[in-house]
Amino acid sequence: MIAYLSNIATLAAIFGLLAATLNFMVGQAGIFSVAHAVFMGLGAYSGAQVALLLVPDPFLACLAAAVVAGGLSLCLALPALRVRGEYFVAASLGLQMMAVTLFTEAKGLTGGMGGLVGIPQPRIFGVVVPVLPLALVALVVFLLLMAAMQRGSFGRTLGAIRDAESAAEALGKNVAVAKALAVAFSAAGAGVAGALFALHLSFVNVESFTLEQSVLIMAMLIVGGTGTLLGPILGAVLLLSLPAALSFITFIPPTDIGSVQQIIYGGAMALLMIFRPAGLLGDQKRGRSEA
Amino acid sequence: MSIALTCQGLARSFGGVQAVKGVSLSLPAGQVTALVGPNGAGKTTVFNLITGNLRADAGQASLHGKPIMGLKPWQVARAGVARSFQDLRLFQHMTVRDNVLAATEPSGWFWQPGGAASRAARLARAEAAMEAAGIAGVADARAVDLAYAERKFLSMARILAAEANVWLLDEPASGLDLSSRTRFQDLLKAARAQGVAICLIEHNLDVVMALADRIAFLDRGEVLAEGEPQAIMRDPKLAAIYFGDRK
Repeated sequence: MIAYLSNIATLAAIFGLLAATLNFMVGQAGIFSVAHAVFMGLGAYSGAQVALLLVPDPFLACLAAAVVAGGLSLCLALPALRVRGEYFVAASLGLQMMAVTLFTEAKGLTGGMGGLVGIPQPRIFGVVVPVLPLALVALVVFLLLMAAMQRGSFGRTLGAIRDAESAAEALGKNVAVAKALAVAFSAAGAGVAGALFALHLSFVNVESFTLEQSVLIMAMLIVGGTGTLLGPILGAVLLLSLPAALSFITFIPPTDIGSVQQIIYGGAMALLMIFRPAGLLGDQKRGRSEA
Repeated sequence: MSIALTCQGLARSFGGVQAVKGVSLSLPAGQVTALVGPNGAGKTTVFNLITGNLRADAGQASLHGKPIMGLKPWQVARAGVARSFQDLRLFQHMTVRDNVLAATEPSGWFWQPGGAASRAARLARAEAAMEAAGIAGVADARAVDLAYAERKFLSMARILAAEANVWLLDEPASGLDLSSRTRFQDLLKAARAQGVAICLIEHNLDVVMALADRIAFLDRGEVLAEGEPQAIMRDPKLAAIYFGDRK
């Protein structure tokens, strides 16, 4: 039972980090992306390869994941960020589709459909450490960094871009640079989450980095509340613990849990959009349309 | 009297419509130039061409003798040209203070240069701009929650805080009541006295006559006349065009 709860807590911390870093892009900078799982995947493969080929040092794995995911996001973001709003959503959707194909085909790096297996458990100075404390530390570090940025000039720059991009430019802000930095930071965080995910499961394949995963991360963000620091964490905990909670309800046959889960998801989303359109912890004034 | 900004032969068409046809304009430092004309005359398009929001098909613009045509909007802003928008474009979900502070922080990087001293100076600039615009009392309110006149003055506070020496203002006084309009005029007069070159698009002729040192009359993308306000406003031909009574 403890192992089961520890597994859920580890996944909640990892997905909390994913949702929180996506929030930095969506809630802070107003850049809507449905490709966050791509950066998680880049981080997962990088971290896994470090552990498999070099040493299972979690810090090195996370560093490699952050550099690869953040660096590649810059290459991808710079041309894509020339478009605004819904066009960037379409561009990120294209990136997501393309990345799944690349992850499947680049067998030498990703193991293809079979994935990378036998990823060693993380060790610090030769001692095996569980991923849960590492994931919690990573989550806290990123939350502190994001809180600091949110309060500082970079947070104001992103808020300005989100609310009125042309006015931000008219005040001398280099919007392309600010957006690219926000995307790179967010992708680096997703990469770290991916590396921890790979170390936690000891196995990764492309199934974990599909559009469905990106949509799940976005759903966590929407449920918890965009633009808030803790909303995405709450969303991640709720959406990950729901299937676990359902499995404890004895009168639902195990074969039907999936369908019941979908019905609850759908109903909860509809109720949320009616009563708390900006998410559970979100600023409700922002969620409602303004007359 | 030095010329802060000049543009020569600006032209821009959209499809088959020639929105701006060879507009030339000079904005002297310490003077208010009003850009007057009927709706659709091309006034806002001229602003967009100067600030780099639109690419000109032809023409040149220079700021204190340095060419600015072809620069991106943020580069033009950093060179010293501030603008306001007809629809204000406030940072709605940010506080008034953050809206104004954002105008003092041009860098798009993770931090602003200059350390703590520069941060304190920027904050002082923002506070002074809010004070001058009369919105210091609502500094912690969000822009979206402000009354209409306060929003207008927030837009002006951002420009004040940016410390630009050329202001391009697009209908900044529209919808203001008499007392707010007087405050607004005082704000512009103070900036003019400090040597700011102001170009004003305004339909309220009372405001134009109270503030403008010169008027450029635009119609169908062309400057039809330029000169002293009294002379321009007395011209029956221009009045007919402005009031939609053209023959």
